[in-house]
Amino acid sequence: MGSDHIHRVLAALLCTSFLVGCVQAVPPDLVAAVEAIDQDLIALRAPETAPEEYRQFVRQWALLKARAQLDDDVIRWPWESSDLESDLRWLYVMGERTVSQLHDRQVSQQTVMQAKVTRLEEQIRNIAARVEAIDGRILLGEKGVQAGLLVKQARSFLDQKDYTRAMQIAEKADHALKAQASLLNQELGRYADDSRITYWQTLAKQTIDWSRLHQATAIVVSKAERELSLYQSGRKVVSYSVRLGFNGMLEKQFQGDGATPEGRYHVTDRRGRGQTQFYRALALDYPNGEDRRRFQHAKRSGKIAQSKAIGGQIEIHGADNERLAQTLGCIMLDNPNMAALYERVPVGTPVTIVGALTKQNAVAAALAQLDRGKEEI
Amino acid sequence: MVKRVALVSIVLTLSLTAGCADPPTQQIQEAEKALKEAQESGAATYSAEEYAKLEGTLAAMRKEVSDQEGKFGLFRDYGKAQQLSASAKAESDRIKTASVQKKEEAKAAALQAQQVAEEAVRATQDLVAKAPVGKDRAAVEAIKNDVEGLKSLLKQVQASIDKEDFPAAQTQAKAIHDMSQAVSTEIQNALAKVGKGKPGRRK
Repeated sequence: MGSDHIHRVLAALLCTSFLVGCVQAVPPDLVAAVEAIDQDLIALRAPETAPEEYRQFVRQWALLKARAQLDDDVIRWPWESSDLESDLRWLYVMGERTVSQLHDRQVSQQTVMQAKVTRLEEQIRNIAARVEAIDGRILLGEKGVQAGLLVKQARSFLDQKDYTRAMQIAEKADHALKAQASLLNQELGRYADDSRITYWQTLAKQTIDWSRLHQATAIVVSKAERELSLYQSGRKVVSYSVRLGFNGMLEKQFQGDGATPEGRYHVTDRRGRGQTQFYRALALDYPNGEDRRRFQHAKRSGKIAQSKAIGGQIEIHGADNERLAQTLGCIMLDNPNMAALYERVPVGTPVTIVGALTKQNAVAAALAQLDRGKEEI
Repeated sequence: MVKRVALVSIVLTLSLTAGCADPPTQQIQEAEKALKEAQESGAATYSAEEYAKLEGTLAAMRKEVSDQEGKFGLFRDYGKAQQLSASAKAESDRIKTASVQKKEEAKAAALQAQQVAEEAVRATQDLVAKAPVGKDRAAVEAIKNDVEGLKSLLKQVQASIDKEDFPAAQTQAKAIHDMSQAVSTEIQNALAKVGKGKPGRRK
């Protein structure tokens, strides 16, 4: 009896100690920690922004969860090692590392993108101001608004913390801005071309020399400076600021292009009160022979559509009292200035219109600034 | 004695055969099909987190099936695989429904933004028609040029909607709307400068 009792007690103690010693295969706090990692990844928008990393984590997590739910994994003896627990700890460490990397990556992306989009916004504002100053907005056509759209889109994606798309759009905006600068250079590059400026200077000088030689009146208009200068006997007597056609900086090619012609012209008619809708007007002999030759050549080479006409009725005129309806390439002065000019200019006065008279003209300066900006993008 | 040995062999064979479980092929196929449908509904985009988890569950199911197949026939148990496939199927269906709904919401938001942008461009166009050609002919022509550009950009919004890239469509439409308003403000400023009057003639 005594021996049996001792055996029973020993057996009971052994069983109890075994039962008490049994531990869960997966510590609940470890599961909770991995759950927390999952939540951190979701908070970092990993499913959308780092789908591959998140997929890898979730795949492992699902496999381990499935294993944890299997009955034979639920408990183990204290001295047994648990593969499942080790795997979960590994996943926790890996997940923690992914969270840290993603967080760092996002902070870095945000900083980079914030700087990039801000720079693009500044760039587009600067370009707009320069383009406005040289009447180049029309020249840009849709390119202007296209670049604006892309910069705004990049800002929207940045605000939504979608850095990948913000970057993609910002790259497109970069290209669009560079394309703008290239287009302006292509169309207006002659204002920065030394040989062309020398040619324009020669034209102007010849006109001034003629004025001196013939003791007569002559006019020189510089488009880049938007300035009309009146010469008498080779001496500049007065300068007026002028407005040009809506596409005035371009060289006139055909009717309706809004460009102001360049070349040597003469006043062919003086139109006073009642003879013009623009207060006073001095009609010019555009198109001259050179204009016609250039126009025909451009048509033949296909640069100008066959349906286009060369245009005409280019004048130096004042402003309509009510509103000015047709400045499609003319040179316009304020009415008091026009009145003064009108009084001093007879029919036959030579009028030389050039792009620019100095290498440091306004258009060349704007193009140089755009070029500098292009390098900064 | 021979009879007894034969009987034991038959009983053993029968019990082994009866004990071999088959994988729940149909359920697995249904779960895989449901996953594909969820993916086709745009779940990877519109329910990215849940879709990734669903893929994880499917991967766990495949692993479980493979583990069981590696076991000796008598010890195979596909209960867990069945459970996982059933859960994956139910989850796929739920995610598919949610994704379709979220996609519809994104589409509706993009269409709404598109409409607002179109109205803004139309309003700007109307304003341009009233704009004085006046002294600043260049400015008015530039504004007209911008409005034409904005009209053209509206096509990009439609293209994004057609591609079902609703976030892009929405950001494009919002940008067009903002730019239209800026142009309208520019015209209103021009109108304020020169006052009202008849529109300018075209040469």
